[in-house]
Amino acid sequence: MRSMWLTAAVGLLVAGTISVLAQWPVWHQNGDLAGVNAAVTVLFVLTGLWLRREPGQRAVAWALIAAGVLRSLDFADAWSSSPVAVYDLIFGAADRVIGAWALLRYPNRALQKNQRIFLIILVVWMFSLRTLIAVTSLPQWDGQPATAWWPTLYADLSLNNLLYNVDNYGEAVFGVTMLVLLVMRLVQTTGLDRIVITPVIMAGLAAAVAAGASAVTQGVTSLQTTPGGIYIAEGCLDLTVPIAFVVAATQRTLLLRNITGLIARISAGADVEAIRGALRGALDDPTLEIIDLSADAGDAEAAEAAGDAPSWESGDRIVEFIRTEGGSPIAVVLADPALERYRSLFDAAVQTSGLALQNAQIQAQAAREKLDQVRASRSRIIEATDAERRRIERDLHDGVQQHVLGLAAQLTAAVHRTDDPAAHEAFLEARDGLREVLAKLRDLAHGIHPAVLTQGGLRPALEDVAERLPLRVQLTIPATRLSPAVEATAYYVACEALANAVKHAQADSVTVTVRIDGTELTMAIADDGVGGAQAPGRGLSNIVDRVGAFDGEVTVVSPAGAGTRLEVRIPCG
Amino acid sequence: MRLAIAEDSGLFRSSLTLLLEASGAQVIASAASGSELLAAIDGDPGQPDVAILDIRMPPTFTDEGITTAARLRRLHPTVGILALSTYAETSYASQLLEIVSTGVGYLLKDNVTDVANLMDSLARVAAGETVIDPTIVRRLLLRDRRPSRIDALNERERAVLRHMAEGRSNLGIARELFISPRTVEAHVTSIFTRLGLDQADTENNRVRAVLAYLRSAD
Repeated sequence: MRSMWLTAAVGLLVAGTISVLAQWPVWHQNGDLAGVNAAVTVLFVLTGLWLRREPGQRAVAWALIAAGVLRSLDFADAWSSSPVAVYDLIFGAADRVIGAWALLRYPNRALQKNQRIFLIILVVWMFSLRTLIAVTSLPQWDGQPATAWWPTLYADLSLNNLLYNVDNYGEAVFGVTMLVLLVMRLVQTTGLDRIVITPVIMAGLAAAVAAGASAVTQGVTSLQTTPGGIYIAEGCLDLTVPIAFVVAATQRTLLLRNITGLIARISAGADVEAIRGALRGALDDPTLEIIDLSADAGDAEAAEAAGDAPSWESGDRIVEFIRTEGGSPIAVVLADPALERYRSLFDAAVQTSGLALQNAQIQAQAAREKLDQVRASRSRIIEATDAERRRIERDLHDGVQQHVLGLAAQLTAAVHRTDDPAAHEAFLEARDGLREVLAKLRDLAHGIHPAVLTQGGLRPALEDVAERLPLRVQLTIPATRLSPAVEATAYYVACEALANAVKHAQADSVTVTVRIDGTELTMAIADDGVGGAQAPGRGLSNIVDRVGAFDGEVTVVSPAGAGTRLEVRIPCG
Repeated sequence: MRLAIAEDSGLFRSSLTLLLEASGAQVIASAASGSELLAAIDGDPGQPDVAILDIRMPPTFTDEGITTAARLRRLHPTVGILALSTYAETSYASQLLEIVSTGVGYLLKDNVTDVANLMDSLARVAAGETVIDPTIVRRLLLRDRRPSRIDALNERERAVLRHMAEGRSNLGIARELFISPRTVEAHVTSIFTRLGLDQADTENNRVRAVLAYLRSAD
């Protein structure tokens, strides 16, 4: 920071001194003009010094410094020293050539071919014509004493005037060409570049118009009658150039803050999609892509990444890895190569988004883990409930049912032991009552948990269910045994679907098809009923919950009039 | 009649024994598990006529009765087997009949208290017939089967077959359906033909017809 101020102070001092000394006589003749020139010189030099810090723009920075210094030297001919006057006659427009080069190049690292050709022609034209003007003139035509040293080879006033006008009109043409080139640059540039170079191009347009106008004015007037005002106006317009560079550089800084702020705002709770959107907006690059490298990234994203891959293969894209503090890559950012000029900007944005991205990945992972935990706990609860139901069924069967059966048998035995008709009747009545109790107990036990499911598996259990239904049921079920939880889940789904086929679908027949492929059980239950089943009812939504707890899924397709088809998929690997 | 009982519920076992002995049967062995029963039968020179087996017994409390039936039939082919169960599921009956096809019965325990029916079933099993509980037969009848040879039977023939499955003789069927025994015989012959059974082997054909009937459910 301190060295920056020191550099600025030294630059101001040196540039100011050069300007004041070079134009010393002008201060007395035309103080306004000298002041404008001094301001141009100082501003150009300071801007150049400042621009040196921008990566890749060191040459532009030195060009601005040179143009600034040359601007004041341009007016050193007022010293009435003939070598200076000759230098000024030939190289007086060097500041504009150098300025044009800087305007065309910034913020690129090289000129385009047409720009280079333009500048070469400009240089050759200007210096050859100005040299011709010098060698065909006498010192007094340039306001110098006739005795002054002059590189005269062949003095001819009319030829000299002709060359002078050709040079000035030519320079006006170059000014117009410069205008075209600058406008072309503005049109061709997109994204952040455009935001940054717009003020520079605008200032360049102003300077080019000024230079062109100045050249034309000098062409239509003679040297002595050229109004000083045109130089002041030109100088004032030239002042916009360093100001524009400062604006551009400031804008860059603002953009940087803007991006950092933008990304900081999205960092809390943003997902990869949101971060990509923010980066695209902030860096003004709609082609920017983030590839999530986290191990848990969804298959969809991976597939999307694979699908989009060809468009990234244009090898000139910026590829930047986002890494954790430990250095392991978590994502790749692919961006427009134009952003290379805003590398620090890009890096800052990517770095900030990296934190957000890491955050997003951690949150996504935490959400997944939480979901897994909830699912695991749900499936544990269901398994525990199943086990409890099995236990109750067994207790009913082995305890209560056997006990009641024993009593019924004893009553029967008692019937044989008595000859009292009333007691006989009473015993038989009691026994029949117990038989009813037994039938109810059996249904109850079966409802709580069908023992046949535990003992025989899905096939016999569903065969028994099918037997009790008043419609044709065709079963295709392998005899394979699965875990109790999976068998029970499939069993309850089938019971619910079959009950719906009877109750709501008015179906005549239904097919139940079970396939087990090692890692997954799939079951399809299709009826020929009226279809048009609405959103899952209470019974089915319980089933959906149960299936979900085991990481499976239920789908129901039920077009009106075309039957209902329920499909369930339960992992069983 | 000499009987052996395997039943893990002590109360039901003693009640059943009481009931059977009151009806004139002789319970020569009474065990709480299948293996205990097999050991008792092996140790006794006089074999029982029928072994009564509970379906669900220790140690596994699943289908002990059925596995015991298989071992018993292998070791003592002449001993009849009557399985008792509280399960009305047809799959257990089918499973038992897959393993043992003659001299076998499957009764629901509820109906055991009908002593006359129990003694009748025991006698028929001892005589080599197949006896299936009417509750289960009714279930099988209601069952809507996949197309099978059973579908080739007409309604009357199917009724006759159902009575056969319940273990009735031609005479019994005639009495149930209020038709002459000769008509029943005609139906039975027709049933055998339609099911593709050999006409000569009448007694085994009865069993085969019943089995075809039961298996048509699978």
